[in-house]
Parts: sequence; structure tokens; C-alpha cells
Amino acid sequence: MLLTLDLNDARPLHEQVAGAIRRAIGDGSYAPGDRLPPARDLADALGINANTVLRALRELRDEGLLEFRRGRGVSVARQAEGRALIVQRMRELLEEAERRGYRREDLIEILKELP
Amino acid sequence: MTYRLTGAAWGLIVTAVLVTVPLSLRDRLPEPLATHWSDRPDNSAPFTAHLVITLLLWLLPWALLMGIALRGRALERRLGRGYWWGFLFAWGLFSIGVEVSTLYANLDRASWQEAELPGWTVLAVLGASAAAGVIAGALGRGEPDQAPPARERAPRLRLRPGQRSVWVSRLGNPWLLALTAISAVALVVTIAVGLVLGLPANVWASMAFAFLIAAVSGAMTGTISVRVTEDGVAVGFGPFGWPVRRIRLSAIDRAWSEPRYPSQVGGWGLRGVPGSATLMLRGGDCLVIRYKSGGQFVISIDDAERGASLINGLIEERVA
Repeated sequence: MLLTLDLNDARPLHEQVAGAIRRAIGDGSYAPGDRLPPARDLADALGINANTVLRALRELRDEGLLEFRRGRGVSVARQAEGRALIVQRMRELLEEAERRGYRREDLIEILKELP
Repeated sequence: MTYRLTGAAWGLIVTAVLVTVPLSLRDRLPEPLATHWSDRPDNSAPFTAHLVITLLLWLLPWALLMGIALRGRALERRLGRGYWWGFLFAWGLFSIGVEVSTLYANLDRASWQEAELPGWTVLAVLGASAAAGVIAGALGRGEPDQAPPARERAPRLRLRPGQRSVWVSRLGNPWLLALTAISAVALVVTIAVGLVLGLPANVWASMAFAFLIAAVSGAMTGTISVRVTEDGVAVGFGPFGWPVRRIRLSAIDRAWSEPRYPSQVGGWGLRGVPGSATLMLRGGDCLVIRYKSGGQFVISIDDAERGASLINGLIEERVA
């Protein structure tokens, strides 16, 4: 699982980690049903507290992206499909844009201008 | 050319020593000779049989090495050359040392039971042949390998400033883990039966030891985890990720992913020799890490291509 954190990101760390995991799943490195590496491994690699990673994993479970199974660890939920991920990321983008004073129409314009 | 010439010359020298020295001392040796010691001599062989066995123990490995020099591809790599030279000289000196110390122990004895092998000769023979092997390997390995031709473009992740990327993957083989569990159970049962029935320790201790080795090695290689960070690559063995093998980025030439199978590397588990090892848990996608020293480390792991691309990206970032 390839995780990328933005060092200048001001959001809380657990949200950033949740976003990184969401992107990794969206990139296709994990298919529905695949098991994620243990939270401890992810925390060690990122150099952060394991509880922060666990909090991120719980958020993603509440979103329906992950499943927790006793004895089998954390796996990608079967219903997590590409569209669900895109919708999730667009929702985030929209929130971010609104915080910075952009409207929904502005976002659509930017999207159209992209090559 | 030097391999064949030097190998042949060295082979003749060692063979000549192994033939002429025992023959010239034959009058002063008991018949049969003591050939094996535990505390005292515990095995003997007639002079001729001993001579033939000693010669075969030298000539068969030597023939194998010459075969490799004549047609093998092993000498194309620096690592292969190092091992080839090292083994050639270490084994030759070891053969001579064993023969000379055996003759020395038997010299001027009335019968083989009286032959005494001083402990220091064993250590001297082992030490001298190991040292000869290391020196010969270092002298004969030659120049570092040229960078391999770019037969495929190594995957590379483009890293942006202000971002921090890590890659984590973990793999377990349920069959290996099941074997490990069976070995652990067998270990406990063996010890329990041995103690409860009051059997002598030599009956069950070696069995218990074998199960212990199987259980520990299985636990260490039944699960592995690999982490790629700015600090390098860390390969954790076992369910707790310990012990850890750390590889500095500065030691890595590049990385890529490639399918490898247990049949190609000689089975499951940790395979190969230092400098060219494979950690094989299942056939399929493997992460190949090529060292600047010419060796490589192959790890069977999922999602290896992304791991390789991050390694290459981090290496490039260090250079830039």
C-alpha cells in the first residue's frame, strides 16, 4: 500500500491518513476483499502513532470503505467501487473548495479547463 | 581463460599433494589408518580406501567448478566469480589440511587406536582454508558489474516536494504457517512424551531440536512485511516484524518487479547465498532489489511494482 502525506496539509493527521488510504484504494492497489497491512505497520512506516492510524481506519469503516473482521484484520469492503471512491473524493474537494471561497460552479469550470 | 588455466593448475597441485604425501609416508603409518575422531579415534580405513576417498572428495567438487568455468554463466557476475575463486582455494586447502592432519595424527603409531588428533589442528585447518577462500574470492572477483542493460524501464514514482510517501506490504503463506504450527505442536508433544515417560534425553532431544528449528524458521519466514520509507527498505521477518533486515537507499542500484517461482529458486523460505538471496513465500509477483555491489535481493510480495517505483523515486530524489 503506497501512502502519500502532504507535509503542508493543515488538517488533522488522522484525516490525512484516511485520505491517503482512500487514494491508495482508489488507485487500485487494493481490490474489494483484500486485506490491508496491519495498522502497526502503517504507523511505523509513517512514523506516527498507531492510534492515529486506527482512528483513520475507523473513519473509513464508518464510510463503508473498509470492513473490520475479527481475526482477519481490516479489509476493503466489497461494495467499495470506483464510483463510490470518486464521489467520496469529490465531496472532500467540494468541502475544501467551499472553505476557500469557491462555489460548486467554479469547481466545474476548473474541471473543464483541465487537460 | 585464467579460470581454466589457474583452476587446472591448482587442481593438479592439490591432487599431486594428496597422492605423493601419503605415499611417501606409507612406511611410517599404521594399517588401517584412523580416519575419524570423536574423543578418541572411532573409525578407521585401509590406506588405499582412505587415499581414494580423499581424492574423490577433492576431485568431484573441483570437476564441478571446472565445469562451471567451462560453460556456466555464473562467472559473468562479480558475486559468482568471488564464490568460485573462494570455493576453489578454500576446498583445495581444506582437502590438503584434512589429509595432512590425519597423517600427522597417525604418524609413527603402532595401531590406529593410538592415533591422536590435537584439537588445534582442526581449528587451524578450518581457519586457514576459510581465510584462503576469503582472500581468493576478494582477489579473483574482479571489477564491479556493469549496470545491467535497460531491458525494461524501471518503474519510477514521481515525488513532489512537500510530500512524504511510504509503501507498506505484508504477505503470509497459510501453508507455511500451518506447517509451522504442526512443528510447534510436535515439539511440545515430543518434550512432554520424553519427560513424562522418562526416556533418556538422547532419544527425544535431537527430535525436539529438529522440530524447534522447523518451528522457528517457519515462524520467521511464514510471514514477512516490507516497508519502504525515506530511510530505506526494511524487511521484517515473522508475525512481529522482527528481526528486521534494513537496506540503505545508498546501497541500492534500482528496483523492479518480476514474477519468480519457488521452482526457480529452489523452494520456499529464504533461499540462495548472501548477496543473491530470495525470500520466497509464494510464486508470482516479486520485488527485486539490485544492489550497487552487484548482488540482488528478491522478495515475494504483493503490490511489488508500486514498492519498486517508490524505491526508484526515492533513489532519484537523493541523487538530484
